[in-house]
Amino acid sequence: MGFLDILRGKRELKQPAPDRLFAMSTAYVKMDMELELKSSGKAAIVFQPLATADFEAIVRDMEEVVQGTGSDAGTTVTSSDDEYGYRWMILADPDFDDLVVGVNAVSGAIQGGGYGDRILAAVFAFRDNKDRPLYWIYNYKRGAFYPFVPASGSEQRDNERELRLKAQIGADLPVEPELERWFPLWGIPV
Amino acid sequence: MPRPTSFGKDTGLQVRMALTLFLLGLVYVVLIVALLAVGASGVTVAIIAGGLAAVNLFASDKLALAAMGARVVSPQEAPQLHAMVERLCVQADLPKPKVAIANTRMPNAFALGRSPKSATVCATTGIMEILSPAELEGVMAHELTHVANRDVLIMTLAGFFATIAAYIVQFGFFFGGGGGYGDDDDNPSFMVLLLVSLVVYIVSFLLMQMLSRYREFAADRGAAIITGRPSALASALQKISSGMHNIPQKDLRAAGELNAFFIFPAGVGKGIAGLFATHPPMEKRIAALARLESQLQGQVAA
Repeated sequence: MGFLDILRGKRELKQPAPDRLFAMSTAYVKMDMELELKSSGKAAIVFQPLATADFEAIVRDMEEVVQGTGSDAGTTVTSSDDEYGYRWMILADPDFDDLVVGVNAVSGAIQGGGYGDRILAAVFAFRDNKDRPLYWIYNYKRGAFYPFVPASGSEQRDNERELRLKAQIGADLPVEPELERWFPLWGIPV
Repeated sequence: MPRPTSFGKDTGLQVRMALTLFLLGLVYVVLIVALLAVGASGVTVAIIAGGLAAVNLFASDKLALAAMGARVVSPQEAPQLHAMVERLCVQADLPKPKVAIANTRMPNAFALGRSPKSATVCATTGIMEILSPAELEGVMAHELTHVANRDVLIMTLAGFFATIAAYIVQFGFFFGGGGGYGDDDDNPSFMVLLLVSLVVYIVSFLLMQMLSRYREFAADRGAAIITGRPSALASALQKISSGMHNIPQKDLRAAGELNAFFIFPAGVGKGIAGLFATHPPMEKRIAALARLESQLQGQVAA
């Protein structure tokens, strides 16, 4: 945001950064082979549902599109609203590449409708070799991923693990450089 | 992109804000000329005032937090509020500010700090009680827009010369006003400076209040854009405002007999009082938000 924009009190939502979502497909190969991190078979995209007629129509169309994208078994889509009023589109597919394609189809449909600025994040869920959950969250506006590892206890996160993940995957994935933007998402439904 | 933005342009607001800033600049140029004309003592006053303004800018947020009885809270203490602010920060592409809570029943919220990195947003326990999550989200988005627009910095800088003028006016009354009858020759120029400062002080005060009101409109607009729910903020404003503008909660029959005892402050926010207000009247803010909602719904051509 430039000086003039600040002076003018101008606010516009940043549109999504150039898409680096597909870096996750290649990074997953390394996570799977070297780090023993398996996809949980689920991913989600979370956005602000606008209470307008055309937005509702876009969301409905999108569900149909995604149902058709999966290669053979097909991706299944469910959606739910959380306590903060955001909507989660949850994609399930045993094939990780199909998940990434599905997430991209959902965000593509929202952006195609002109509502790209309403997307909060995409979330990919993984399990480590002890079956503990960990997540990579993709911030569309920043075009970058960051790790999120919930720890035991209420709303605690395992920062050490997250930083280690960054060091392990950082070369293969565009990771958010500013740590204060590693925003947690509690109660991820995947 | 078929729809680059869901909301129309705010050209009218931009023009008024630019005009206000221009007039403020004009008034200040007059003051600077007067200060330079007086020479060394004028410049000294300017430097002292500048130092005080800087201290104010760097220390005021802690003082203000303490004055409000507010406390910075950790994510564990206020998970809901933190999660809400975090999501808004992602949407607004801002770093996360500190989050504080003031333990008072008065429904209010405010933002502090000169830059997004050092900002604090604060909500009172009162506002968290009376607002629904969506309404509170609108209010926090309003405060985050103040942070993004650097309104604390802008108002401090805009008020810098007004502060100088105020010092000169006080200074003049203490030292120049009482005893200086015709003893030395620099008296006339000092009297001119005093007069100029007085006028600058009054005019810039009015202009600053005007600028502040425009920044509020801009922050409301920003909040609507960040949350995509202008009506939620409008409803929050309605709840926070005195209660006179509220959509009544109370049964008509129960309220009827009490009505005779209320004195409705019908004139507030209109006429002269409106010039001195830092915030625009509630009806105007709600009307502006209603326009945004109809633009969002595609009822009005952008």
